[in-house]
Amino acid sequence: MSSLNPKDGKNGDTTWRGLSDLVAQAKSEADGVEDAGDPAVTAYLEQRVPDHDELFGDPLSRRRFIQIMGASIALSSAGLSACRWEEDHIVPESHRPEGYIPGVPKRYATAMELGGTAYGLVVTAYDGRPIKVDGNADHPHTGRGSTAFVQASLLELYDPDRSRAVERHEGTNSLPATWTSFEEEIRGLVKKLGQSGEGLRVLSEATTSPTVAALRRDFLARFAGARWHEYEPLSRDNERAGTRMAFGRAMRPHLNLVGAKVIAAFDADLLGDHPESLRLSRDFAAGRDPDDNAAGMNRLYAVESAFSITGATCDHRLPLRSELIKPFLIALEAKLGGTGAAAPSMAAFDAKAQKFLNVLAGDLVQNRGRAVVAVGARQPADVHALAARINSVLASDSTITYTADPDGDRPTHTEDIVQLVADMQRGAVSTLLILGGNPVYDAPADLGMAAALAKVATSIHLSSYSDETSAACTWHLPRAHYLESWGDARTFDGTYTLGQPILEPIFGGRSAIDVMKLFLGKGDVPTEQLVRETFEAAAKELPTGQTTGDTAWRRALHDGYVARSAAQGEKPAIQPFTLAPLGATQSKARVSNGSLEVVFTSNTATFDGRFANNAWLQEVPDFLTKMTWDNAALISPRTAADLGVAHEEIAEISLGGRKMQIVVYVMPGQAPLSIALALGQGRKRAGRVGGLDSEGVGSVGFDTYQVRSSKAPFIATGASIDGTGKKYRLSLTVDHYNLEERGQQAIAERLPDLVKEEDVEAYKKPGYSIVADAHTPEIATLTVPRTADEANESLYKEHRYDGHRWGMTTDLSKCTGCNACIIACQAENNVPVVGKEQVWRNREMHWLRIDRYFKGDPDDPQIARQPILCQQCENAPCEQVCPVGATLHSDEGLNDMAYNRCVGTRYCLNNCPYRVRRFNFLRWDWYKEIDDPRAKVRSLLFNPEVTVRSRGVMEKCTFCVQRIQNVKIQAKNAGRPIEDGEITTACQDACPTGAIVFGDINDKRSKVAALRLGPRAYNMLAELNTRPRNAFLARIRNPHPELG
Amino acid sequence: MSSPAEATEYFQHVTDTVCDIVERPWRRMPKAWYVALAISLCGAGLLLISLTKLVLTGIGIWGNNNTEGWAWDITNFVFWIGIGHAGTLISAILFLMRQKWRTSINRAAEAMTIFAVICAGIFPLFHTGRPWFAAYWLLPLPNDMSIWPQFRSPLMWDVFAVSTYLTISALFWYVGLVPDLATLRDRFVARGLNVRAAIYGALALGWRGSARQWHRFEKAYLILAALSTPLVLSVHSVVSFDFAVGQTPGWHTTIFPPYFVAGAIFSGFAMVLTLMIPARYLFGLKEIVRVDHIEAMCKILLATSMMVGFAYGTEFFIAWYSGNPYEQFTFLNRAFGPFAWAYWTMVTCNVIVPQAFWFKRCRTNPYIIVFLCILVNIGMWFERFVIIATSLTRTWIPSSWHYYQPTFWDISTLIGSFGLFFTLFLLFMRFLPAVAMFEVKFASDHAHAGPATAHH
Amino acid sequence: MARFEFPQWTESFKKWVLLLMAGGPVYLVALWAYGLRPETIRIGYQPKQPVPYSHALHVGELGLDCRYCHTTVEKSAHAAIPPAQFCMNCHTAIRTDSAVLQPVREAFAADATLKWKRVHDVPDYVFFNHSAHVTRGVGCEECHGRIDRMEEVYQYARLTMGWCLDCHRDPAPHLRPPELVTQMGYDPPGDRRELGRQIAANNRINPPTNCSTCHR
Repeated sequence: MSSLNPKDGKNGDTTWRGLSDLVAQAKSEADGVEDAGDPAVTAYLEQRVPDHDELFGDPLSRRRFIQIMGASIALSSAGLSACRWEEDHIVPESHRPEGYIPGVPKRYATAMELGGTAYGLVVTAYDGRPIKVDGNADHPHTGRGSTAFVQASLLELYDPDRSRAVERHEGTNSLPATWTSFEEEIRGLVKKLGQSGEGLRVLSEATTSPTVAALRRDFLARFAGARWHEYEPLSRDNERAGTRMAFGRAMRPHLNLVGAKVIAAFDADLLGDHPESLRLSRDFAAGRDPDDNAAGMNRLYAVESAFSITGATCDHRLPLRSELIKPFLIALEAKLGGTGAAAPSMAAFDAKAQKFLNVLAGDLVQNRGRAVVAVGARQPADVHALAARINSVLASDSTITYTADPDGDRPTHTEDIVQLVADMQRGAVSTLLILGGNPVYDAPADLGMAAALAKVATSIHLSSYSDETSAACTWHLPRAHYLESWGDARTFDGTYTLGQPILEPIFGGRSAIDVMKLFLGKGDVPTEQLVRETFEAAAKELPTGQTTGDTAWRRALHDGYVARSAAQGEKPAIQPFTLAPLGATQSKARVSNGSLEVVFTSNTATFDGRFANNAWLQEVPDFLTKMTWDNAALISPRTAADLGVAHEEIAEISLGGRKMQIVVYVMPGQAPLSIALALGQGRKRAGRVGGLDSEGVGSVGFDTYQVRSSKAPFIATGASIDGTGKKYRLSLTVDHYNLEERGQQAIAERLPDLVKEEDVEAYKKPGYSIVADAHTPEIATLTVPRTADEANESLYKEHRYDGHRWGMTTDLSKCTGCNACIIACQAENNVPVVGKEQVWRNREMHWLRIDRYFKGDPDDPQIARQPILCQQCENAPCEQVCPVGATLHSDEGLNDMAYNRCVGTRYCLNNCPYRVRRFNFLRWDWYKEIDDPRAKVRSLLFNPEVTVRSRGVMEKCTFCVQRIQNVKIQAKNAGRPIEDGEITTACQDACPTGAIVFGDINDKRSKVAALRLGPRAYNMLAELNTRPRNAFLARIRNPHPELG
Repeated sequence: MSSPAEATEYFQHVTDTVCDIVERPWRRMPKAWYVALAISLCGAGLLLISLTKLVLTGIGIWGNNNTEGWAWDITNFVFWIGIGHAGTLISAILFLMRQKWRTSINRAAEAMTIFAVICAGIFPLFHTGRPWFAAYWLLPLPNDMSIWPQFRSPLMWDVFAVSTYLTISALFWYVGLVPDLATLRDRFVARGLNVRAAIYGALALGWRGSARQWHRFEKAYLILAALSTPLVLSVHSVVSFDFAVGQTPGWHTTIFPPYFVAGAIFSGFAMVLTLMIPARYLFGLKEIVRVDHIEAMCKILLATSMMVGFAYGTEFFIAWYSGNPYEQFTFLNRAFGPFAWAYWTMVTCNVIVPQAFWFKRCRTNPYIIVFLCILVNIGMWFERFVIIATSLTRTWIPSSWHYYQPTFWDISTLIGSFGLFFTLFLLFMRFLPAVAMFEVKFASDHAHAGPATAHH
Repeated sequence: MARFEFPQWTESFKKWVLLLMAGGPVYLVALWAYGLRPETIRIGYQPKQPVPYSHALHVGELGLDCRYCHTTVEKSAHAAIPPAQFCMNCHTAIRTDSAVLQPVREAFAADATLKWKRVHDVPDYVFFNHSAHVTRGVGCEECHGRIDRMEEVYQYARLTMGWCLDCHRDPAPHLRPPELVTQMGYDPPGDRRELGRQIAANNRINPPTNCSTCHR
């Protein structure tokens, strides 16, 4: 059966099922195809992946699956699809490491750094192949749960576009270069620079790594004249400056939401882009649980311009221009009667805002000591100071603590880069080492970074991708992924966290530490040793006096962190300070086009642009806009009407003399007269996903850095927006905003039954049940085993579920819509990416989606949210309509999907009331890069426990059946019962708030069984008698009676 | 009562007229026939291309999506199955009811039925994501996986219903053909054209027209008619179960079986007329396919049109009466939602337009009839589209609502299926007796005078 | 008008035509069914291995336990093929200069890999777990046959879905005390089925036949 043989030239296929094939092909391509990467992959695989077929036998790559299908086309009439595969090899390693069992996943603790903060993680690896990243549940700060970025960082590890070789540019032409030639260059350089090191500069991205800090000290000691600069496009510098104003030195505020009764977030996305979002979400949810919560539920107020998931989760939200936060806070402080409060001006606030202000002030006063005010990083320094003062007025010692900023004396990132570029332009910089970051792309537009770089004799850029900056530098060095390198970091609370490599650098990259040590002549000192030395030093200083030595080191590596190493909380005293005077527009309720406000926000897909080539993140729909593969100018409906710009129209924004064109997204709940621009799209050299001019791959979205200046990098005023009349097609997974009247009305009518919400007062009434008032049956009657009579209602034999009875609950009170679960599911279940065009065609493949509905006034709506995955109906409509029985019921109540039996009639999809089934309309790997040998590395990403689906096959959430099966087998092998909570689904692991609970309903002691019988539990569309295994827990709001 | 002489002359005339189409040399085939055939062949080619592209690339080339698992594919399937209803109805039911006027058109109608069912059969197979498996996993064959198809699925029922229907109607058609094939055979022998004689001879299964053979023939024909009759009702009922069994609002209703059957007959008759009236002119069958025949069919059209209209009304009434908000919204959405244009096209073509047949002028003027019948066929295609697409666009959960847009390949596949249909029909007109000669003769008044034999 | 007559000699065709019409399909189906049976196209598959390792010698004569080399079979889904290092445990002492062992010695010395040919191969969408079966008392022999008599390993069982289901639906005849799983030629006194039934009862063995048991 030659057509099945990947090595058969006829189908010219580059897929491999096992290492043998891969190696064979890689070799053959190494001579033929010009390809720097593949020998690396091959070498890596040869040494790291033993006994490969045992491992890779199962996760057939997409193309592999197609081969089988292809053969079946040829032979379907002959029914030969089950005949012998091609000759296959098993290649055991020559020496098997002790205690290593091929095919049994191992978990390692490690750490990931992101924009000056860090996460303690646990990585699941199959035979040295990381396939899943999750929060380190034991980590005192990160804890269980993760963010979308953490989840998606795995994809970057296997991104074929990651830089694979050292590059050297002279003007436009590039010279051959290797790490060795670079090391020589450095030796020469160091000699040339001598002791002084005049003209030597380092521009580093923000890092919390103690080892880098140590090397930096040595570096600055070694080169007296050298200077160290730090830049992040998204930084919390204003917070540092603000606390310096308020306390005399830079501090880090940490909110303790567990005990907080009233939380007021001003332009602050506590649950979203805050570096502590995981802990905050966890604590917030804890204080949010209406059932086990003595203190009673907390109440969250949000005042913000652009809708954030915090604003979507809050009880009361006030859309307000970001620049008006300051006068609002002044007024608030006045109401609270703080000392030294400035005279408020209410000119800018309409009746609604003023009422909001009064109620909020009242509520805060009432809960003095259990209330807290938080201000977003983008607000100016004095607003942060103001907030600190308000918090002191509120005596919120228990709800907010401060820790000293680890690097309090450095200039702000903006000042720093301005200084650096100035020096570069006047030729004071001869050698520039750029550690990470992408300044040419994301530095303030008014600096002219690229031009300045041209003036630097030797510029060296270390980064994962050969990006915009690399192109402008004389040297580009491929950077090792955090899963490939030794490192350390401190999480936002200062906990000492260690990062260990799971695998050798696939593309021969190196870490910042590796490069730094070259300058210090420590080239031959292993990085592990450097990291360990730092650890030993730090451990000694710890107040708790950690023991050092091998045991401590191994323990720290095993745990991934050093216990009790967090920074000490302080209670600094407020110092008097004066606020900057209010600007002209800050006392106006309405401003005209031309003096509009522009707010630069972080991007839920690409952060600041660094994840632009990450297809998982690009395709995950932003929770609020439901936008994929794009960024847009968000404008409130009323403003759009006033200024005459339309949804999905290209508009021209001019700000401070700079102009750019970007698509308009009319966003309900966006503050009027305020334009939100998400940063981090429109990349030109991101890769073949995010945009790569050199290969003719257009940019995703629009580059909003074009209009961002160093003067006003976060909130800028004086902007104007004018429609161009050009239409632009956004790929939204839900687009209801411009739905006709009848549709809107129908949604409004259905919503109360689909997404149940209740006010806490009503909920607390005795004997309350969420389903009592609705037409829906009590969930209890749906979960208990049915009586013989009931069973007879059905024509077909009912299952009895004597053994396990898997079930899930999804708590709508806790879900914030952070999207981590979606990407976790994608990683766990090999869910494909389909691209912008296909998302527009409504063919996205996510097994788990989070529905988002607007309620009420388009200019100030409430948000209803609902994560929806396969409800695993006991009486599943999809099952009885499948003609080939490809989706059948298991005796544990799972709605099994046998991909290899599916012929793709899509009848099940039509008959699923929840629309959770996803059909492979095309081969989703059909983008050009799959035919590029470099893309083979992608195959390492697949979870070997889950079949990769082919075109023409239906798929859907399985409750992570592969995890269920493996735990069951382990438990049975050991002859023990399965513990409650032993089996977790991927979405559950990723959820920072613990909104998703999975378990065995038959086990009466299990958490899920209890929750399902609780007063908030309901099944969606239960009236259809589908008897879903997933139950939603109604969302309980805690509105203030006066705003209610 | 006419004299045997007249009878013989009349019979001879019938035979000559009908056989002439088969016997005449190519040059005497009307230009229009050649033109039509050329166009149809292009269409058939387009179908071939579209299906090849489909198998190689995937369902993604169509407009279907996560909200609309089905769209034009199943619409076309139901449409063609509907067309396929007139033939058997005319041949079987009207035969059992001894409706004389059917004789002139039943042959063509049956042929049409078979061709329509062939076109219909394409879609259930090719709408699947992996037809190379569907082709045989849908059949209950023993296999190494020791699993069977799932008999609870209406799609399984379809497989059996449609294949049975195809078999029976093909048999019925062929049996009916035998005496006339024999006639042709004899005429070719008489003209010494042995090759054709041999071919038609083989096809005629050695028919002699002996009294014994006629006796058997009558019995066989009667039995097959009796067999087909329930099929006419069952096939489209089963097809309607695809929807009625599903729980999508707008599908989940008990009136579908009668509603679909009425609609099928409606569209089937419309198609027969669309084909027969031009044929009647092209091949000079005016005296055989008489105006009163056509008028009778128009009356049936009028009746079925009103049945369909009644069904539309009932749907709305039940939706309102059920008190089910989802159901109610679905129908409001049909009539006034984004697909309102499709709905009102359907109502106009299927309910309003046919009212013209109240007037004799409309029932007798061929141009008007053909025009109206084409409208009816368009309307009936839209009926299926409305049921399938508009119901699916907006089901239970608003977050998955979506608008449906067809692609080039959706359209090409539909056009292609028409191409195939007309190709087959045109070839049939040329190579087989398009009118059941012997039946016409029986049915004629002369039959009682003259000797009842099909050949002289 | 002259009637057309088929010549007399065509009469003799009739029975042949009938025979063809009746027998043809039957013949085709039979050919089909036989030609595609796994017995025909799978069983007995015996590729040439890089090293002529003889199970007959090591297991049959020397009586090595399967788990001596396939160490992971009770812990992992995969009964991993042993690394060269395992061979060298003995062959540093025994037959140290044997020519056939040359590849093994080289692999061991160079820390390179040996490329064995896979004999038992199920489709990629089938998730078979060795540990789940071995620890329940399904003997190696049940699926791999009398390894102790194979000079070179060949495929013994059909390894089709139907074959799996046969056992999952009626495991009793294939069960044995878990400690005896590796025993070759297991033949207990008394009724094997009855014994199996007891083992199943004692160890609460009721093999699932859900799709997700094997397909994920």
